[in-house]
Parts: sequence; structure tokens; C-alpha cells
Amino acid sequence: MLDKRAEGASGPAHLQLVNVWKRFGEGERQTVAVRNVDLAIQPGEFVTLIGPSGCGKSTLFNMIAGLLPPDPDGSVVFKGQPQQDGALLGKIAFMPQRDLLFPWRTVLDNATLALEVEGMSKKAARQKAEALFPEFGLKGFEKHYPQQLSGGMRQRVALMRTFLFERDLILLDEPFGALDALTRSMMQRWLLDIWAKHKRTVLFITHDIDEAIFLGDKVVVMTARPGTIKCEETITLPRPRDASVVTTQEFMAIKRKLLAIVEEESMKTFAAAGAA
Amino acid sequence: MASRLSFLRSALPVAAALIGLLLLWQLGAMLFDVPTYILPRPGAIVATAIEKAGLLGSGLWITSVEAVLGFFVGTLIGLAAAVLMILAPPLEVALIPLVIVINSVPSIAFVPLVLIWFGLGIGSKVAIGALAVSFVVLLNALAGLKRPEADAINLMRSFGASRLGILWRLQLPAAMPSIVTGLRVGLARSTIAVIVAEMMGAYAGIGQIIYQSTAQVDYLTVWAAVFVASLGSLVLYGVLVAIDRKLVWWR
Repeated sequence: MLDKRAEGASGPAHLQLVNVWKRFGEGERQTVAVRNVDLAIQPGEFVTLIGPSGCGKSTLFNMIAGLLPPDPDGSVVFKGQPQQDGALLGKIAFMPQRDLLFPWRTVLDNATLALEVEGMSKKAARQKAEALFPEFGLKGFEKHYPQQLSGGMRQRVALMRTFLFERDLILLDEPFGALDALTRSMMQRWLLDIWAKHKRTVLFITHDIDEAIFLGDKVVVMTARPGTIKCEETITLPRPRDASVVTTQEFMAIKRKLLAIVEEESMKTFAAAGAA
Repeated sequence: MASRLSFLRSALPVAAALIGLLLLWQLGAMLFDVPTYILPRPGAIVATAIEKAGLLGSGLWITSVEAVLGFFVGTLIGLAAAVLMILAPPLEVALIPLVIVINSVPSIAFVPLVLIWFGLGIGSKVAIGALAVSFVVLLNALAGLKRPEADAINLMRSFGASRLGILWRLQLPAAMPSIVTGLRVGLARSTIAVIVAEMMGAYAGIGQIIYQSTAQVDYLTVWAAVFVASLGSLVLYGVLVAIDRKLVWWR
């Protein structure tokens, strides 16, 4: 049976997780990575997910991407259809934590990777990608190799590769985690622009509370391991958001609230590590 | 233009060292009056090489054809086996111990058997060359194909890539540097194996010239053949460097 949240005001959820569990190992050695996760994401929504490190965010992500099967207790429902046995592979645009650009491909050919896998001809794929270069701030770098680019540029290439794989749902796993603070805030504003223009549904993992609030329509907080959803906070800050939004009273109030929750969970992780 | 300049810059010291060595050798041999059968003078060796250019040239040609053919056959077998093992891991588990056992015996040890199986002609030389190459290429290719991390493979899977798609677009390019290393070692090995096989039994080739001239106590021809063989492998090495640049352009 589907959760009540699935039938919200805006119709069926784009993606819904119903009682999703993931356990690794057997018997005494068994560890629970993710437990009892219920989550619904509406079409066009930008959802950010935060939680202490090692809370099972990436495991959850891999299950949503279809890379890892969830335990049989629950299900992942995509556009109203329950998904099994890697059925989600190829349906969701997934961007892992590291850029994973291929050093033997030029920037242009890295961007077209997913299109080529889908069977598009090299020429058509390149034409399609070339049109996006100015928007992604990479014009003039088409023929460069990834190892010639800065971290921020590499991340934009990886994002372009993800966007070119035209799926309605995009999963981003801490895409800006390795960038310096300045580049990061620039990339956040830029991502919002792109999102507003292309209107995709986004699920974005981060461990940075500011980032989560700044980007999201909804912030989902996960508990310490075994990870489950602690609470969801709807962010009503007006869009389009610019850098100054982070100093407003509203922003601060949300941040204080979320910070308290995340701190509590981080302390648990810390205590558990100390006890072990 | 720039590449020609850098080639000259790297080739010049090598050529200078080589010429210096030959001069030293020539002067030393003249000064101490070393007899020809122990160490002939480079001048005499070069003169013999020119005098017997026809014989040596045809020998070098046959040896090169055998070595290159053996190299290609062995490379194909090695690459095909590596790809099969990646696609069917049980195959790897079953066969790799066997491969390591055979590979730890110098391939030259198989020459007598190969001569019995394939005769004294080109066939046996190509077979021994292929044997010398295939295992190195197989082991290097296998290590290279396994190099991409799980994350990169998962990325390809998330795009809906098939097993073969992942092999073609990710694993094979990622394996190139290590395959090229295998090719380099393999080519050297196949040349050695072919020449030794020719010495043990052949109708023609550099190895056979060395063998016959030794039997005839014609040491100048032996040395001339060795000189010509070195020149030949130098050319092959140059070809390999070019292949390396072509296949691993991103380094």
C-alpha cells in the first residue's frame, strides 16, 4: 500500500520510497545501513538530503539509482510503478560524488558519454552537447582533456554529462563537496539557474546545511547509522534565490533548527564510534 | 616540427654514446691486438655486414616477418583470452593458475616441442613467438581491464550500458596503458624466442646464420648478424614507441 504522502495535492509522486531497508552481511555480523525509509519526491521538486557522514546516504542513493537492490521489506516506486532488479538502471540521471571523467576522452566526448551509450551517433551527440557549453561555462574547452581543467570545471563537465542524459529525475551525490567555498557558492547559484531553466526533479545529497537550505524546496534530515529519515523541513524561501538569502532572518531560523537536529545525530555517530 | 626537434634531442645523446663506444672498442682492439675470434673490430664487422648484405638482409627479413607475425598472433590470442575471462570470471579462476605456471617457464624451453609439432619452417617460429607474447599480453590486459573502479562501472550501468558497452567504452580504454606495456615486453620476448628457435632448427633467418657461421668458425659473420639483428630490434622498438603514443594519447 502506498503511503498517504504519495497522493498529495500535486498528484502521484515522481519517486517514492516505501519502507526501504538495506542490511549488509549475515547473522551476528549483520549491519543495517538504511532502515525504514519513507520518502516522496514530487515532480519538479528540488529535495536536499543531509545527515552525518556514514549515515547511509550513498547506500540509499545507490538503491534509488538501481545499482543496489533494496531489501525485500519495502519498495522503490518510480512514477507509480514499483521497481525491481535494476529496473531503474537507465531511467535516472545519476551523478556520483567524484566526477569520474574519463582521461582518454575530451571534455566534449565526456559530456556525450551517456548519449553514446544510449546509441546516439557521435556526431549528433556532439552537436547536442556543444549547444550546452556556453550555459555550463565551458565554451572553448571542448577539445581539452579533463586533466587540464580545474576542479570546478571538471564538476561542471560531470554535471553536463548528467544533464545530457535526459531523465526527469536527477540524483546528485555531494557534487560540490570537494570544491572551495567560493567556487561552491557560485556553482550552487548556477545550478539553481540551470534547474529553473530545465525543470527537472532533483535529489541532492550534501553534508552542508547552508547548501541544503539554499538549494532545496525541502530538506530531508537523516539520522546516524542505521540511517532513516528524522524529519523533513519545507523551505519556503522565495525563488529565485541569490547569495544574500543566507543572511536573512528566515534562513537563520531554519538553519538553527536543522543544526540542532544534525548536531544531535552527529553526536550519536561520534559516541557510537567511541564505544566501538 | 617541435616533435622532430625533441626526437633529435633525445636521439642525439644515444647516437653519440653508441659511436663513442664503437670507437673505444675499435681503438682498444687495435691497441691490445685482440684476435678476431675473441673480439673482432667494429670496422671489420661493418665491412663483413656490407659484404654479406644480401645474405644478412634476407635473413633479417625472414626473422622480422616471423617475429612480427608471432607478435600479432600472440597479441590477438592474449587480448581475446583476457576479454573472455573478464566476461566469464569462472574462466579466469580456472585458467589463470595454469597460465602462470606456463608463463614461468621460459618460452624457449618449448622450442624443441614446437619444432616437432610445426616443422623447421616459418610455422614453428610464428608459434614460438606467439607463445612468448600471448601470456604477457594476457596478464597485462587482464590487470588493465580490471583497473576501472566500481564507481566508474556503476556510472556506466546507471546510463543503462550493457556489459559489452562497459567493456568497450570504459574497460578497454582504461586498460590501454597496461596493454601497451604488455606489447612492449611481448615484442622483445618474441624476437628472442624466434632467433633462438632459428638457431635450433630452421632453413633461414638471422638465428640460422649465427648458428651456421659459428659452426664454420666464421666469427665475423656471427658478429655481423648480431649487429644486423640489433638494428632490426631498434626499428621494432621505434614502431612500438609510436604505437604507445597512438594508443595512450592522453598521457
